[in-house]
Amino acid sequence: MEAVLRNLAGTAELLAVAGRSGVVEQWDEQTLSRAFDWARYCEHVFTRFHNNPGMRRIMEKQLQLTNQSLQAVFPAYTDVSFSDLSQCQHLLLVGLLSNPELPSSIMKILFDSMSPANTKQSEYQGVSGLCSRIIQCKSACKVLSPLTDVSAVGADAEVQGAMLMEELAALLSQSSEACRAEHFLDSVLQGCDGAAHHFCLVIAAALLTTTNSAAQTASQDFLLDWLQRKPSELQHMCSTLPATLVIDLSKRHLKFRDAYCVVLKNWASDMEYSISDGEWVQTGTNQTSVSFQRLTEHFLALLEACPSLREGVVKELNVLKISDGDFDVRGLSVWGDLLSIINK
Amino acid sequence: MSQLQIQLQQTAEPLLNVQEMQFWLDKAVAWGQADSPDTRKDTCLHLSRLRDFLQQLLTHINNMNSTTETMKTLPFLGQFLGRLCWNPYVTAEATSRRLLFQCLWGLYTEHPGNAVERKANQWIRKVLCQLATEDDDAAAQTLMKHTGVPPEEYHLKVLRKRVALLQQNIGKSCSSLGDINQRCSCDSLLAASEACVPLVTCPEAAPLIGTLLQQPVTCVRAALSEDFLDALSSAYSSQRLSLEEQAVVSLWYHNLSSLEEAVLRLLECVLTKTGLTMQKLKQRLTESLLPKACAQHCSIFLVVNDIFRSILKQAEGTESVKYLIQIFTSCFLRELDLLQHQTSVPLKALFPQSPQSLLVPLVTLPSEMPQEAWRHHLNWLSGSLQRLTEEEEEGDGDSSSSTRLQRERGHHNVFDAWFLLVQCAHWVQAAVQLLVTSGPEDCGPLMWLLTFYHHPTNRGHHRALQLVHAKEAWDHLRSLFSVVARPLPVDRLQSLVTLLSSQPQRPSASPLLILNLLVNFAVFFQQSLSGSTEILQTVVERSGLVDEAACVLSSLELRLNEGSCLSSDANRVHLRIKALQNTITHMCAASSPAEN
Repeated sequence: MEAVLRNLAGTAELLAVAGRSGVVEQWDEQTLSRAFDWARYCEHVFTRFHNNPGMRRIMEKQLQLTNQSLQAVFPAYTDVSFSDLSQCQHLLLVGLLSNPELPSSIMKILFDSMSPANTKQSEYQGVSGLCSRIIQCKSACKVLSPLTDVSAVGADAEVQGAMLMEELAALLSQSSEACRAEHFLDSVLQGCDGAAHHFCLVIAAALLTTTNSAAQTASQDFLLDWLQRKPSELQHMCSTLPATLVIDLSKRHLKFRDAYCVVLKNWASDMEYSISDGEWVQTGTNQTSVSFQRLTEHFLALLEACPSLREGVVKELNVLKISDGDFDVRGLSVWGDLLSIINK
Repeated sequence: MSQLQIQLQQTAEPLLNVQEMQFWLDKAVAWGQADSPDTRKDTCLHLSRLRDFLQQLLTHINNMNSTTETMKTLPFLGQFLGRLCWNPYVTAEATSRRLLFQCLWGLYTEHPGNAVERKANQWIRKVLCQLATEDDDAAAQTLMKHTGVPPEEYHLKVLRKRVALLQQNIGKSCSSLGDINQRCSCDSLLAASEACVPLVTCPEAAPLIGTLLQQPVTCVRAALSEDFLDALSSAYSSQRLSLEEQAVVSLWYHNLSSLEEAVLRLLECVLTKTGLTMQKLKQRLTESLLPKACAQHCSIFLVVNDIFRSILKQAEGTESVKYLIQIFTSCFLRELDLLQHQTSVPLKALFPQSPQSLLVPLVTLPSEMPQEAWRHHLNWLSGSLQRLTEEEEEGDGDSSSSTRLQRERGHHNVFDAWFLLVQCAHWVQAAVQLLVTSGPEDCGPLMWLLTFYHHPTNRGHHRALQLVHAKEAWDHLRSLFSVVARPLPVDRLQSLVTLLSSQPQRPSASPLLILNLLVNFAVFFQQSLSGSTEILQTVVERSGLVDEAACVLSSLELRLNEGSCLSSDANRVHLRIKALQNTITHMCAASSPAEN
């Protein structure tokens, strides 16, 4: 344990030096290679202990100490936290490349493009050509994206959904940490502030992943429960996601289907008949704007995909129509108008 | 050379055409402005020319004395390179990425002397840093941060996911549609192959490329982009391609030049490696995947065969090529059998130029026939071939009664017949084996066959003389091996050695022909092992044909292994061959200790 803490401290110092010190001028390929070895070591440490709160606390404390001493040495030093360690290699790279004292010879090693193409996918490939490989990967993604993003969710969201599920499963497997899972989802939501649509895609992808184990099913269940406590996100999902996705989600998860129904009914109840428009329109400062036509499309699609719902929905709409006066004239009861379309 | 002359020489070198620079700058601007299917297609179309231009640029930059000078000659260079850096099609492809970076480094100055150079340095560092580390996807970053997945791993996952998604989509070809009016998704095949032009050297994209190549061509629209095939072909020839076996076979099927490349590589390997045993040759051949590919697509076999034909036409004597052709043909036919086509391809289609009457008799293996029937079969083969050659020669001699065209056709016939014999040389080997146990009365046709195999063209009508010499050698061998008393008769040994030493002046039988006979005598003649070994060792040592003898022995062993005859006789023969091989190997070791 002592050794691990020493190594963590050492690597934090290494990161500081790499990013801010002129010492890098002396670096050669071997130094570079060893630096990345240490960064990889820290990433392993993170993977091993990040769901172990006791160990994590000890390591965070060590890092705090190291941060303090480094603050004294380097002006404008940014702290390294335990969670930063998951990206240690990336941090090292960013530090090195933005360090103006880094010799061009070292940079050339990182950007070398001469290494042969064929390598085993899971093996570590060394520092030579590291940046070249990163750039190749990112560019290849961009080259393929016009072809693949026609699929419902998109490759990015699918991968992110899978990452979400994996982390969720790991958090939930520790019996006492249900609140940590909640906190995790909340943090992700917060981080996606400004990318609300994309966040919806990620959640949809997560909920649509095929579950091969009880743990995965439990994760999806947890996610659904959490989603139900976030009405605006739920609404956003129902209104902005492609119809096919929403339908798929409804078919897959009963909880989602029921929540979706509630959302649709809420939208309907928010509507008022506008005589000038000759149509039902939404009132209030609801963020999601849905036209009556779209609302009916939603209902029809849902009932077509889940025929078992029909009876219950029709009954409920009828009750609501009766409470509105049970008129058969258009424009008097949104429930009546919905019902007449559904019953066609 | 004076300073002025050096300067003049530098300026006399083909300077970058200003118009060309403008052309490419305009292109780079256009590509960066819009991300439409047309611009993407345009980029892929121009990639290989762009590479050439970047190479020119690099040369130009390296010729300049300083960055300041370079910027004076090409003021828009920075802008141009900068735009290319942000074009994923340029940065995804290995060679263009390398050239681009090299151009950037060419503009970097270790010890900058002025503001221009300092700024250039800063800019280069900034661009490279951004390319490698910048990520403007907030959602992705959040998830990475909270799930502990580092960026490199994340991007790799996304790439693999995209590749997998595309593979799934490609699989839906139009043959799966029932309704003829439904629009097939075969256009996606073309679009995907175009998009993959910059990705042929990207190992992550290999599964997708494999899937694209192996798509059955079911529809007029299901075509692979020509640029895609060209890119694959040039990556293949520089060995930067990483594809699975089946994908390589499909590549050969789609692209002739990569197939030719593969065959030439194989030939080069065979011709340059000395001491290649038959087993190693067979192994190398199987590893090359060519027999398997030929069995799957007969069009590939025809191309490969043609290449071998033209090689042999130019150099008929090369033994290793002849061995290769024989082993290749037998491997191919075996693979074809294994594949069990529902509609079996007729032999005629596979060997269109060979004389049809000889096809089945030659292709049949000796092991498919009782050994007693060999002699009759071989006599028939020999007779047919003899007639064929006589027809040609008659046509040659009598110029009045045949046109030049007829004579040429005759030439073709003989060459094609000989080529078929080379492909099916198991019968030649059977002939040699029988010659060991033949008497003088019935060795004639076998001798002729053997001579024909080694000397297909009858230049100056020397075949008759060659036959005589061959028969002479056979007589020598028979008498030598019949002798029981020791020591061996010196004069007979010597005449044999003389025959084996190459004498290009007088038309004599090929030394390899005689060596072949010698080795077969050593293996099959009813002599004690020690006796045969002594004769073989002495003759081979004195004539210096150690490697060739080893070759013949290993080809005999290979043939007997494939014959899969389980009789006790086969065991005895195997043991004998092994013992002789040991002797030869020791001779190799003794003669060249330094090499070992």
